[in-house]
Amino acid sequence: MIATAPPTTGVLDSHWSPALEDLLACGRSAGADLVEVFLERTDHLGVLAEQDTITSVTPAFGMGAGIRVFLGKRDGFVSTNDLSPAGLRRALEQALGMLGLAPGNSSRSGFEGLPALRDFGASKRDWLQRCPELKEATARLLEGTDQLQRQGNHLQARRGSYARDWQEVLIAASDGTFGRDIRLHQSVGLNVLAADGEHRAGVGRRYGTSDQPDDLRRWDATASAAEVCASAGTMLYADYVEAGQMPAVLANRFGGVIFHEACGHLLETTQVERGTTPFAERVGEVIAHEAVTAIDEGLTGGAFGSLSMDDEGMEAQRTVLIQNGVLQRFISDRAGELRTGHSRTGSGRRQSHTFAAASRMRNTFIDAGPHTPEELIASVDKGLYCKSMGGGSVGPTGQFNFAVEEGYLIENGQLTKPVKGATLIGEAKEVMPRISMCANDLELAAGFCGSVSGSIFVTVGQPHIKVDSITVGGR
Amino acid sequence: MSNTNSTGAATGLSAEQLRSSLASIAAANGIRRWDLGAACSTDISVQVDRGEPKQMKGAQRSSITVRVWNEAGLVGVTSTSDLSEAGLERALTGAKEASAFGNADDIPAFSPLATAPLAPLDQPIHAPQGILRLLDTLKGAEQELLARHDAIATVPYNGLAERSSERIYLNSDGACRQQQLSTASLYLYARAEEAGRKPRSAGAVRLAYGAGDLDVAGCINEAAERTISHLNYAPIATGHYTCVFSPEAFLDLIGAFSGLFNARAVLDGVSLSNRESIGENLAVPFLDIHDNGLHPGNIGASAFDGEGTPTQRLALLEGGVLRNFLHSEATARAFGVKPTGHAGMGAKVSVGPDWFEVSATPGSGGGQSGLERFKVGEPIVWIDSLSALHAGVKASQGSFSLPFDGWLIQDGEPRSIEAATVAGDIRQVLKAIVGFEGEAKITPDGLCPMVWVEGLSITGEA
Repeated sequence: MIATAPPTTGVLDSHWSPALEDLLACGRSAGADLVEVFLERTDHLGVLAEQDTITSVTPAFGMGAGIRVFLGKRDGFVSTNDLSPAGLRRALEQALGMLGLAPGNSSRSGFEGLPALRDFGASKRDWLQRCPELKEATARLLEGTDQLQRQGNHLQARRGSYARDWQEVLIAASDGTFGRDIRLHQSVGLNVLAADGEHRAGVGRRYGTSDQPDDLRRWDATASAAEVCASAGTMLYADYVEAGQMPAVLANRFGGVIFHEACGHLLETTQVERGTTPFAERVGEVIAHEAVTAIDEGLTGGAFGSLSMDDEGMEAQRTVLIQNGVLQRFISDRAGELRTGHSRTGSGRRQSHTFAAASRMRNTFIDAGPHTPEELIASVDKGLYCKSMGGGSVGPTGQFNFAVEEGYLIENGQLTKPVKGATLIGEAKEVMPRISMCANDLELAAGFCGSVSGSIFVTVGQPHIKVDSITVGGR
Repeated sequence: MSNTNSTGAATGLSAEQLRSSLASIAAANGIRRWDLGAACSTDISVQVDRGEPKQMKGAQRSSITVRVWNEAGLVGVTSTSDLSEAGLERALTGAKEASAFGNADDIPAFSPLATAPLAPLDQPIHAPQGILRLLDTLKGAEQELLARHDAIATVPYNGLAERSSERIYLNSDGACRQQQLSTASLYLYARAEEAGRKPRSAGAVRLAYGAGDLDVAGCINEAAERTISHLNYAPIATGHYTCVFSPEAFLDLIGAFSGLFNARAVLDGVSLSNRESIGENLAVPFLDIHDNGLHPGNIGASAFDGEGTPTQRLALLEGGVLRNFLHSEATARAFGVKPTGHAGMGAKVSVGPDWFEVSATPGSGGGQSGLERFKVGEPIVWIDSLSALHAGVKASQGSFSLPFDGWLIQDGEPRSIEAATVAGDIRQVLKAIVGFEGEAKITPDGLCPMVWVEGLSITGEA
């Protein structure tokens, strides 16, 4: 069946060892400091339900390799769909040529062969087979859109979507890295467009996990639909927010996108390399309010950004980025360590074999604080409560922005009327010291992050937090 | 199924080989009706950092998407990058299995225009220059940009790339489309900072059919001028302003709300338009918008869409009145019109714009005569570039709230705006246009003059 059949074109395991050793030895003998080969097989299934009909089923499968060669602080990277010995050799030679190297042009050696394979995928062989088959997946999605119909009002369009991404990777490098893993990410999204006369509100939520084949079976369609419908019902008649500077309380879960965009990206060594982070020389210094402790890790079971090893073969770890407002360290990959001196953190990640790995976030969150969410809201005379956040981005000078999907005015310490159309903008180094209160209700939320090495699975998270003053764009 | 030469560059897919393989696999699996979209490309690109090569990349890619119609007439689809015989067979049989879940209420068919003549495109094929020449060119460009002003310390985002690509569309009724293309791109995004002041940045992009044809000097000049122009900045007071959109910014806005013109979005109930909207006044009476993928300024134009329908010029707005929607085969059939060449490929076929032409309605004067009244007295906001459209645009609601780079113009004197957002509703924007200014400019997204709009909400930090 489509939903369960593994790829038929080969398996990535230790049988690849001789071919990989040949490539790595060839690259080293050409004079490369380090050669890395990333092999990948993928199996994707996408399903879309609209109203009460399955309107699209999109299976896809593929394979490919990315070969990276380092010489000094430079690197060349070539990707290919051709996994034949000749195809891989051609890709290696192209990567070597980018650095002025060619096979046989150097007497350099030092590659002692690959060690035994560290196989993180051994216990995951049946994950794809254990995922719901297509018939079951479509039935669950239709259950979601049916729940939207039952629970919503004025719904002009209802959509449910399911994505299942299975990936097998084999990574070998001339420094002795040799690892294999299987990754599984599943997500379900529900979206509605509510319309009543001139009033319109589009609301969506996506729920995602990693490494849990049963995820779709366990998904609570009723609760998810209730959340979406409640938000749409509230926002349908909301007024536009009045623009200005004001304090804001950001809800937990996806509210963590503020830290992801405003600060997390600036703590990636790719930003240090480019000279685009204001925090480059500030390890050990206060960069945030003392209420803020921030973590990036790849270990939380089932979280969207968790991984057994990163895309450079390094095991995941827990990295404290900021402790009580003091910058502790950066998120780093192999190239980042080479070019900035910040040691690797198991954060070398890429969307697929067509991208070179780069320092990227995993599960990134502000840690819980001592307050209750109610205490944060009660501390604001006039401001904005951001219950649900949309996407955002950060620019090359550290300016960030993100959309508020569901907002409420705070007046005299109480939530009052809903407002829409708000965008929060600011600069990381100015906003981080203004996060003055953190609540005790940390939760994580699945998301996708697009950056230099493509779109990857991540988690954002935080408890309720209070920002003393932020620019709110509106009408 | 893709061929390579001794340098590793793909020399193209073989349409005949693909057709032959698919036909035999389809016959062996009882599949009578199928179509296929295939693409392959070779890319090389370089980035530099203060005179040193930062990353050099190469890629060879190939992929196909196949659609299969089953005995009941339902459609299934599968995509793969595995173009081996085994991969093709798995794709076809997978699509056949997926067809069991095809949507009986919306079944795509072959485009009736899949064998119609294609409009000629002047797209010269250039041989790649090679990565070392690209590297030299980019290093030189970076050096020249850094020398333009003491405050420009880095060019953190830069890249020079070449691509050779090929697309094929085949179907079991004998349609065969094939297009080869070479393109090159250059982007330079500089960062400038003066002592005690915030860093500022801006950039420029150029496209061409070959690296040798890229306007490198123009890209350097534009990136330098724009970056330097933002060094003298100040916050702006929140309020309502008359705004001048650069061609790039206005085209970004139109593109973000292209669901207005999209028949798929109309049928799905997520467009601001509906089936009866053709003929409605959506904008001021002097606004024309055409979609014209065939314009010679559209570097890398596709000669046909995902269903093999020829690309064409299509009137969307004329005199502010909605004239046509963008269509696939299936949406065209639902509306009783012909496909317009704007389809993707899939079980549910997506629809999207190619390249916009924004202009004054012929004979209308374009409102230019009335602009002088806005140039004295009240300050004007010049919106040079919009950011974060993925987050700040509510396409199905019509609203937007977007950060932008630009200038506040008071009595003819521009000063860069420190940080601000512009917010509004696209339907109001289209009716609040007060005129156009300057020659229409060719950009990667279309052709457009500067567009003046009254009364937009700006949020600043003053």
